[in-house]
Amino acid sequence: MSDEKWTVTFIIHRQKGPDSQPHFDEFTIEIHPEEFVLDGVEYIWAYKDRSLVFRHACHHTTCGACGMRVNGVEKLACMTKIADVTQDGGKIKLEPLRNFPIVGDLVVDLGPLYRKMHEVHAPEVIPLCASPWEGEGIKPPQETPKREDGEEYIRLPDCIECGLCVSACPTAASDAEYLGPAVLAAIHIQGIDENPDLLALADSREGVWRCHSAYECSAVCPSNVDPAWRIMDLRKQIIARRLKFKK
Amino acid sequence: MLSREQQGLNWLLQWFDPRGRSIGGLAFILNRITALGLVLYLYLHLYYLRQLTMGPQVWNAFIDSAENSPWIGIGELFVIAGGLIHGLNGLRIALNSFNIAVPYQKQLFYGLFTLALIGIAFFAVHMFGA
Amino acid sequence: MSKPHAIVIGAGFTGVAIAHDLALRGFEVTVVERGPIANGTSGRTHGLLHSGGRYAVKDQESAIECIEENTILRKIVPDVIEPNGGMFVAVEESDLEYREEFIAGCEACHIPIEEITPQEALRLEPHLNPKVITAFLVPDGTFDPLRLALAFAATAKSNGAVFHLFTDVVGMVLDGNGNVLGVKVWDRANDERYEIRGDIVVNATGAWVGQITKMAHGHVPITPTPGVMVAYGHRFVQRAINRLVRPSDGDIVLPQRRMAVVGTTSFSVDDVDYIPIIRDQVQMMLERGTKLIPELGTAKVRGIYMATRPLIGSSGPGRSISRTFKAYDHKDLDNIDGLVTITGGKATTCRAMAEKTVDIVCEKLGISAPCTTKEVPLISYRRFYVD
Ligand SMILES: Cc1cc2nc3c(=O)[nH]c(=O)nc-3n(C[C@H](O)[C@H](O)[C@H](O)COP(=O)(O)OP(=O)(O)OC[C@H]3O[C@@H](n4cnc5c(N)ncnc54)[C@H](O)[C@@H]3O)c2cc1C
Ligand code: HEM
Ligand code: SF4
Repeated sequence: MSDEKWTVTFIIHRQKGPDSQPHFDEFTIEIHPEEFVLDGVEYIWAYKDRSLVFRHACHHTTCGACGMRVNGVEKLACMTKIADVTQDGGKIKLEPLRNFPIVGDLVVDLGPLYRKMHEVHAPEVIPLCASPWEGEGIKPPQETPKREDGEEYIRLPDCIECGLCVSACPTAASDAEYLGPAVLAAIHIQGIDENPDLLALADSREGVWRCHSAYECSAVCPSNVDPAWRIMDLRKQIIARRLKFKK
Repeated sequence: MLSREQQGLNWLLQWFDPRGRSIGGLAFILNRITALGLVLYLYLHLYYLRQLTMGPQVWNAFIDSAENSPWIGIGELFVIAGGLIHGLNGLRIALNSFNIAVPYQKQLFYGLFTLALIGIAFFAVHMFGA
Repeated sequence: MSKPHAIVIGAGFTGVAIAHDLALRGFEVTVVERGPIANGTSGRTHGLLHSGGRYAVKDQESAIECIEENTILRKIVPDVIEPNGGMFVAVEESDLEYREEFIAGCEACHIPIEEITPQEALRLEPHLNPKVITAFLVPDGTFDPLRLALAFAATAKSNGAVFHLFTDVVGMVLDGNGNVLGVKVWDRANDERYEIRGDIVVNATGAWVGQITKMAHGHVPITPTPGVMVAYGHRFVQRAINRLVRPSDGDIVLPQRRMAVVGTTSFSVDDVDYIPIIRDQVQMMLERGTKLIPELGTAKVRGIYMATRPLIGSSGPGRSISRTFKAYDHKDLDNIDGLVTITGGKATTCRAMAEKTVDIVCEKLGISAPCTTKEVPLISYRRFYVD
């Protein structure tokens, strides 16, 4: 791997407090093309402007904190390589996620999403078989290895509550009450047959019928949740219930 | 997850801004624009049909002026284009809503959009061709 | 009497666990953190809920702390842990030299282990190097770093703690004798500066403790020792796989959601705010990692990150410094009252670190309140945002 660094200009959305006027600041830095956008942001904070605020924690896509818009598209900054979003001498534009309240600069308040996930009691840990293997789409794994005691493995679910899907969703843009992709996916994963409260929510005005099929949620989801597919599957399930006059 | 007051006019921009959108998002934008166009057409259509109630002279004069204006033809082609794009894409969304072919929504869009383009070309040739 | 007011600087594992403990013991708690929760070392850990097996030979004090705290965390915060256990595997003949020491060490530290055959090991972990010679099961686990910290923070908040995030401590409020009365802060999200005063300031800034003690004209001996971790985009293993060797570089592969994470290294730096990724170390992770899981060689890299251990003491290379922790009362250290510093330790032992620190705080302020964090279950991490 070459050690040559690139010169990259970061154009970063700045705003101090939710009510102040936003503007953009430019920072030109030397950075290795194999490094990640989040590394660039942290470098800028460390050496260029200590007042910059941004969200981050795990730096490897397990926490979902560093969601932002990179050149207009929702990404986790920690897994977005510099080389994939610009070139030597190029620019990278960073903006906070849409459809969430702004805290400052690149930081939004994901509280509304966490609150809704809490309301639909999205499970914090799930059996392994409830999460498919890589590359198999939304299907249970063909062969789930068992623990030494024969019990199932338990793991943290795929959805990392990063909010990228909500930011990309044109319906969430104009409807604050819409449950949104991540929350509907959490309902789907738990099952509406087993959870009458979730059926009622999914089948409500702000549930699956609110979706306008832009499929942006699945396009930006960094974690293989495929919320759009799950919303459509919920529609199918609900229609099937209605046709069978199920209660 | 922001209220309308918090969003300002951002929501309107987010409905129609094609930057950074994937195929699904672009299809959504096209669907919405064509839908609004079709509604607009429907109103125009009804507005001019109203002239029928004003007697034959008014109507004939209108038809004469329409036949001489190139804009009507172009407008009609727009209606046809909008109808084809919106209608065919509508089929895609309707199918998807029964969870049919959701993983192939992109390919479906490409296919149906191509079909719409062929249809538009056919009508264009038919209407304006020598 | 009104509640005593404690100011905690830093919302890494140590800070949030202290806030939780303080709140339970009846303090009014204010946490000041310059970023979001767990943005420092804590967010960027490997995520291994240590059984202690890794330290059972060379650092038994840490090993005992680990197994005790491992058991407690599984009980009080099961929501953020993948409790699938761990495995120590020998893949080369030379690894077997460590076997006897390992068994004896684990026994001395009361870490339950079980030796299994290579066939059994491969059945449990099909992606393991087929050359595996022997394997031991240990009660390791994995945790989600952000959510572990959020669970402590949520519980602290529900008991009244107040969090000032994106707020740097930029100075100390001192009295005429150099004792600490509070902190001067800069809220960077709103660009506002103000002071917070309290009865005691707890410095839980991990690798940055030195910067804070300097503001109070005190000192504390720590050695920042970073390490690298590489996340691959496939969950090759269901439990933490450790190489059966003395702790060294790149000898652990563990599952994290849909990933496998390989770590780590250990070296020294001066500036800990930004640590560039060192390419040679990434290459080394790959080489060492493939000894345990050969398929890593063809897997896609998903993330690379560096984090800095706040190891206590100031001599010797990184791995020989103890992984245990230490809380300092600056009254004893530099004759400065009103400031306590805690550093060192592990994510796994953060609750115990908090217990020890809050014991010191209580003793200083003449408060008798027993620690109950061993028993009190934490509430859902999501409630950090809900209440
Ligand atoms: C490479 C590596 C791998 C590790 N893996 C594991 C593992 O697998 N398992 C395990 O149990 N442990 C592991 N550890 C150890 C563990 O991660 C650390 O011991 C622990 O995270 C330290 O937490 P802390 O709260 O003390 O420090 P930090 O998490 O660094 O918290 C300090 C906080 O203080 C804040 N701060 C600093 N200065 C200021 C200021 N002026 N004003 C306000 N706030 C400030 C920072 O923003 C930061 O959030 C690992 C460590 C490293 C380096
Ligand atoms: C040719 C047959 C048609 C089909 C199959 C069809 C199908 C659809 C579908 C499936 C939607 C929902 C899209 C979504 O979820 O966002 C829709 C939306 C809409 N349609 Fe049609 N449609 C047709 C004709 C028309 C016509 C002729 C008009 C106008 C007069 C029209 C106006 C609208 C409007 C206004 C919307 C809402 C647009 C939006 O929410 O973005 N449609 N159509
Ligand atoms: S569904 Fe995907 S994009 Fe949406 S919050 Fe969950 S992980 Fe993020």
